[in-house]
Amino acid sequence: MIQLFHVTKRWSDDPPVLDDVTLQVEKGEFVWLTGPSGAGKTTLLRLLFCADEPTSGQIVVNGRNLNRLERGGVPTVRRNIGVVFQDFKLLPNRTALENVGYALEVLGASEAQIRERAHKRLAQVGLGDKAASLPERMSGGEQQRVAIARALVNDPAILLADEPTGNLDASLTESILQLLFDANARGATVVVATHDRGLLGKHRRRTIQLHHGKVTGDA
Amino acid sequence: MTHVAWRLFRRALVNLWRAPLPSLLAVVTIALALFLGAALAFSLASARALLASWGAQPAVTAYLDPRLSADEARATAERVRAAAPDAAFTFVSPAQALDRLRVQLGELGGALDGLPRNPLPATVELDPGRGDPRALAERVAKVEGVADVDYGREWSDRLEALAGVLRGFGTASLALVGLAALLVVANTIRLAVYARRDEIEIMKLVGATDGYVRAPFLLEGALQGLSGAALAAAGLLAIQRLVLPRAAAAFSFAAGVPAPHLAPEHCALLATAGALVGLCGSYLAVARSLRT
Repeated sequence: MIQLFHVTKRWSDDPPVLDDVTLQVEKGEFVWLTGPSGAGKTTLLRLLFCADEPTSGQIVVNGRNLNRLERGGVPTVRRNIGVVFQDFKLLPNRTALENVGYALEVLGASEAQIRERAHKRLAQVGLGDKAASLPERMSGGEQQRVAIARALVNDPAILLADEPTGNLDASLTESILQLLFDANARGATVVVATHDRGLLGKHRRRTIQLHHGKVTGDA
Repeated sequence: MTHVAWRLFRRALVNLWRAPLPSLLAVVTIALALFLGAALAFSLASARALLASWGAQPAVTAYLDPRLSADEARATAERVRAAAPDAAFTFVSPAQALDRLRVQLGELGGALDGLPRNPLPATVELDPGRGDPRALAERVAKVEGVADVDYGREWSDRLEALAGVLRGFGTASLALVGLAALLVVANTIRLAVYARRDEIEIMKLVGATDGYVRAPFLLEGALQGLSGAALAAAGLLAIQRLVLPRAAAAFSFAAGVPAPHLAPEHCALLATAGALVGLCGSYLAVARSLRT
């Protein structure tokens, strides 16, 4: 599902953020991507959803070689990838329902389809009664659940999460992780970047360790 | 696809509503550019019509000596006709000349009734057709009893040349004002793009194409352009209704030249030009923002 072959990412003359990374993630896997701050976790995820391009190496996502992708092909790749960020990236002037429905709007879905599917996803993440709420009136955990609902509303094959629990307390962390495990159980390939070693010990899954841009462990 | 188009249009309207001041600035700038452009075009068209009407008058006018009696004037006119056998010939007596002037002056013509005597001389109007008016004027000037010869086209040629210069100056000014309007729209949309950069980032993140991201901004530009065109048309109509009738009375020398009139096709042209300026301005702004 995800393949990286000798991928290096470098900004100008600085040391590489990712250095000759080769790895493979199978369809339906749940993978922790871990390492200290600056290890290259976020950069790796950004390469996967085409926010950046590698300096060298090849990346294949869902059967498509991203190096050969034209600019016009990027949206097609992104429609099959849900992304969750630490800072949620919700639109403040839109309700929870509108934020979730946004991902369907760009696909050209009708208003009725958008309402129905966005409501369903919000209910799935336990926010059925918060559809009309604006993000500023929701807790951090609720906002992250809205972001996860948005990432999943298209039923993407891949879900990428960059420190999804970084801004949340322990009790909320578990409920958010459960949503990611649920998405994985429904068939999505999930890659979660975190530096929280406690989570890795508590939920044992395949763990790829990054350090100074190199893969230092994969178990 | 209809619901997508409607959604994008609705979003463009909402975005305009949320940032009324920059939008208003763009609308007013476009309106100003279109108003000035249209006013210039109408002025040039009127000037051209005026020159054409002057140019249509006889090319050579021979003013006969005012001391001549009516019979002597007739005899002199015949000598002029003999000197210019190929030219179309019209004799205008002093009384006829006064009647013409009265018509040309329109409402002011009544002022002529107060004159103690008719000051206008008898004239002979000659149209050389394809002949050389300058050579004809020189021949006629030598006829005994002819006091002066007016080579009319000399003036109209000079005026035509002046109109040409004004046209060039006007076109250059118009291009500058148009460019200014384009830049104002581009900057307004650029500000809007900057203000909504988070929204754009999220749109692209969830798989929006560049076209989908760009569309509401282009629509905003087009709407600003159309609003500017409507404002310019309203201004021109106001001028046409309120100012032109008074101006026509003041400029009686232009009697007979049709006053500029804002026709539906002119409004369509204004709308097209406004929409194009808006579209181009927003396209420039969004294209640059999407690249970055």
